Amino acid sequence: MSEMNQQELLLKVNDIHVYYGAIHAIKGVSFEVRKNEIVALIGANGAGKSTTLNTVAGLLKPRSGTITFKGENVTAVPASKMVFRGLALCPEGRRIFQQMTVRENLEMGAYSRPNAEIEQAMENVFGRFPRLKEREKQVAGTLSGGEQQMLAMGRALMARPELLMLDEPSMGLAPILVEQIFDIIRELHESGATILLVEQNAQMALSVADRAYVLETGSIGMSGPAKQLLNDDAVRRAYLGH
Amino acid sequence: MKKFVAILLAAMMLLSVSAMAENIVKIGVYEPASGDSGAGGKQETLGVQYANLETPTVVIGGEEYKVELVYADNGSSTDKAPSAAQELVSAGVSVVLGSYGSGVSIAGSEYFKNANIPAIGLTCTNPQVTAGNSHYFRVCFLDPFQGTVLANYAFSTLGARTAYCLAELGNDYDVGLVTYFKQAFEDLGGTVISDTFPTNNSDFTSYLTNAAMYGADVFFCPVSIAYSTQILQQAASQGVEFPILGGDTLDSNVVAAAAVGTNIDLTIDTFYQEGANAAFDEGFKAWLNSDATALANNGGNDTISAVSVMGYDGYYVALEALKAAGTTDSAAVMAVLPSIEYTGVTGLIKFDENGDAVRTSAFVKKVNNETGAWEFVTEQTVE
Amino acid sequence: MWNTVFPYLLSGISVGGQYALIAIGYTMVYGILRLINFAHGDVFMVAGIIMVYMSASGMPLWVTIPLVLILTALIGFVIERVAYKPLRSAPRMSVMISAIGVSYTLQNLVLYVTGGLNKTYPTIPLISQTVTVLGAKTKAVTLVTPVLTLVLVLLLVTLINKTKIGMAMRAVSKDFETSQLMGIKINSVISATFVIGSFLAGVGSVLYFTNYPTVIQTSGAMPGLKAFVAAVFGGIGSIPGAVIGAFIIGIMENIIKGLDVILFKSGVISAPLGLSTFSDAFTFALLIVILIVKPTGLFGEKATDKV
Repeated sequence: MSEMNQQELLLKVNDIHVYYGAIHAIKGVSFEVRKNEIVALIGANGAGKSTTLNTVAGLLKPRSGTITFKGENVTAVPASKMVFRGLALCPEGRRIFQQMTVRENLEMGAYSRPNAEIEQAMENVFGRFPRLKEREKQVAGTLSGGEQQMLAMGRALMARPELLMLDEPSMGLAPILVEQIFDIIRELHESGATILLVEQNAQMALSVADRAYVLETGSIGMSGPAKQLLNDDAVRRAYLGH
Repeated sequence: MKKFVAILLAAMMLLSVSAMAENIVKIGVYEPASGDSGAGGKQETLGVQYANLETPTVVIGGEEYKVELVYADNGSSTDKAPSAAQELVSAGVSVVLGSYGSGVSIAGSEYFKNANIPAIGLTCTNPQVTAGNSHYFRVCFLDPFQGTVLANYAFSTLGARTAYCLAELGNDYDVGLVTYFKQAFEDLGGTVISDTFPTNNSDFTSYLTNAAMYGADVFFCPVSIAYSTQILQQAASQGVEFPILGGDTLDSNVVAAAAVGTNIDLTIDTFYQEGANAAFDEGFKAWLNSDATALANNGGNDTISAVSVMGYDGYYVALEALKAAGTTDSAAVMAVLPSIEYTGVTGLIKFDENGDAVRTSAFVKKVNNETGAWEFVTEQTVE
Repeated sequence: MWNTVFPYLLSGISVGGQYALIAIGYTMVYGILRLINFAHGDVFMVAGIIMVYMSASGMPLWVTIPLVLILTALIGFVIERVAYKPLRSAPRMSVMISAIGVSYTLQNLVLYVTGGLNKTYPTIPLISQTVTVLGAKTKAVTLVTPVLTLVLVLLLVTLINKTKIGMAMRAVSKDFETSQLMGIKINSVISATFVIGSFLAGVGSVLYFTNYPTVIQTSGAMPGLKAFVAAVFGGIGSIPGAVIGAFIIGIMENIIKGLDVILFKSGVISAPLGLSTFSDAFTFALLIVILIVKPTGLFGEKATDKV
């Protein structure tokens, strides 16, 4: 773990405050992600996990605080530009384009890339998700839940991000599929990807992550190496059901 | 507070006294300046403006008054008419001239009636305008007369036996005139087929096809200028073979221009034929050509429209009434109007018991497809 | 029988094609913004007015026509930037009210400029010529319209399905947020939609006013309304739906105008019934029936609301 911390700092979120109208949703959250790390944000429903990811992705603007990505202040950069800077979010609920084919969805994922790179990226994604290759021409809305999750992840990978953010990848999936998805996350990690993972399934998240932060009603409660949190009594009681 | 009101009232009285000192009499010009009949309304207004320019003052009760024209645009639509009429009532006019279009005249009528203001219709030909109203007068002929003139012309001169009539749905003038035409034409032994089109329609190709399919010998469309120009343009490109017949509304150089360079045979009846009064023609044309706005409102050239002449005569009838009343009080003007007699450019104007001018003849004119000028055909008389 | 129906069919196909070009603008904007752009019919009318004034200034047609199309597209762009973009996060009703405001603004601007007088549309050689088709005389534009409409629709469908901007439009119409995550600039895509819609309305105005050559400030109202009904009829948000809906409405309305004649000639009725009066009533009755029987229209998607 200590070597990991030596790695280059990729994302630094410093004391951000986010509001939905009058609702103070995020109350001073700070965390960081280093290269090649998997960092998990865990917490109960409504703790502000997705809001945090959406803010980092540029969909929401923090009222105060800063977000630094690759050493640049990106606090005010909109989502449509963040992807060009190397950050991709695979959103909660997958949000694939239901009426488009699998291939078209993947092409959408590569919207930020030059056309010449698309084929290569597509081959990479198909290599990682052979199932998607089989369903290439199929309309995305007809895929199963697990396949849709794969498509959503594949779509995010099409942008060749330096930081991949996954929002609740296991949501609504059967346990066997959850295993599969987490296997893929591990593989991505092994091939050198940097991942910021938001999960309600804390057990699974902590088992793949290097480090984790616990989000409680808009602010960070605990943080530390994933293994340490996995064995922490308070965490076990609150999030692991033990 | 009371003090303030008192001061205010005093100030207002002073103001009104000073207004009196200037001796102004207001004549309302209730005409469409926009909408389907905007072109016609503007031409009618031109006649009033020219007359006002010629005779800007009038002696009432021994004192000279300056005549101020107050304009209200009724937008050619019966739902905008009431507010335009209200505007004139609020402005305190002594008498109203207008409107072009019977429908809007009827729609504004009750507001003038309630305010005891007499109105003089210039070219609104529908009988309903004056029927049962003691405050509405008019200087032009009526639709039953006009319908008969046109039916006679179609049956006898054109030799038509089947007539196709087209009117705008809900337009009192169009629908009324078609009805009178139909009565007269059927009395003569002809057959009439009629259609109506919805307001804002601009596709007349199917109606023209209808007429051709029915084997019509004449196409009668007494519609507003806006629609008639479109009908003519579409008739020309469809190469229709029947002559087109229109009422007084079509007497406009704008309509004639639409027939230039086509084979359309267009005949109308109207109130005045250019050339009947050389002095008036000359003066009016000179004014049009000296005033760019007036020329634009006349459709860009100096062809005299009959409605302008009616506007001109109507203005003088109003002045006669003001003189006879000896006051600017509108009720007094209304009281003397039935007895007014005036010989204008369009002949003798005197009112019958309905307040309608007694007219026994109409001019029938035909468009020249090369020059776009209206050519005199005949002066049709009906007893 | 055929000879009786044919002239009406011809008028219907022609006006249907013109409605289609307007309807596409309604349906595309609705597809992306869920906004009924009430000003669209007026953009169509303004295109006509611009043409009138430009050709009055003596410019040749090969300059004026492209210029009118470019200006119309620009007007669509500016309307969106000024009247709709600032309201992007406002309730849909506010945007709709803004659209109605734009509609009145355009009408009154034109009323002011023209002084409420009819303007005669310039004659465009070639398409203004009278031609004879199977015994029916009409303007060449009647024949040009459906062909040009179909070509433009094919180009548009290709653009939407095969190009990057088209992909982006489809994505934005389904999901604003995810589209942004893909790197799509929502505002550019929305602007592109307005530009395309207005451009097509501009083409439609050239064809329409060549057929019916009078332009006044209310000239856009009826065609706009009919095109809107066509878009709803075909399933608002669907381009093929709008095109097919427009042709159906154009044809039906002309058939009804001639229904008396058709029935009369075929001996069904012995005297005309005056059915032509109902030609517009038919269009709106059709709208009501569609909304009751199939609220999503012919080609509408079941779930039109975004997640």
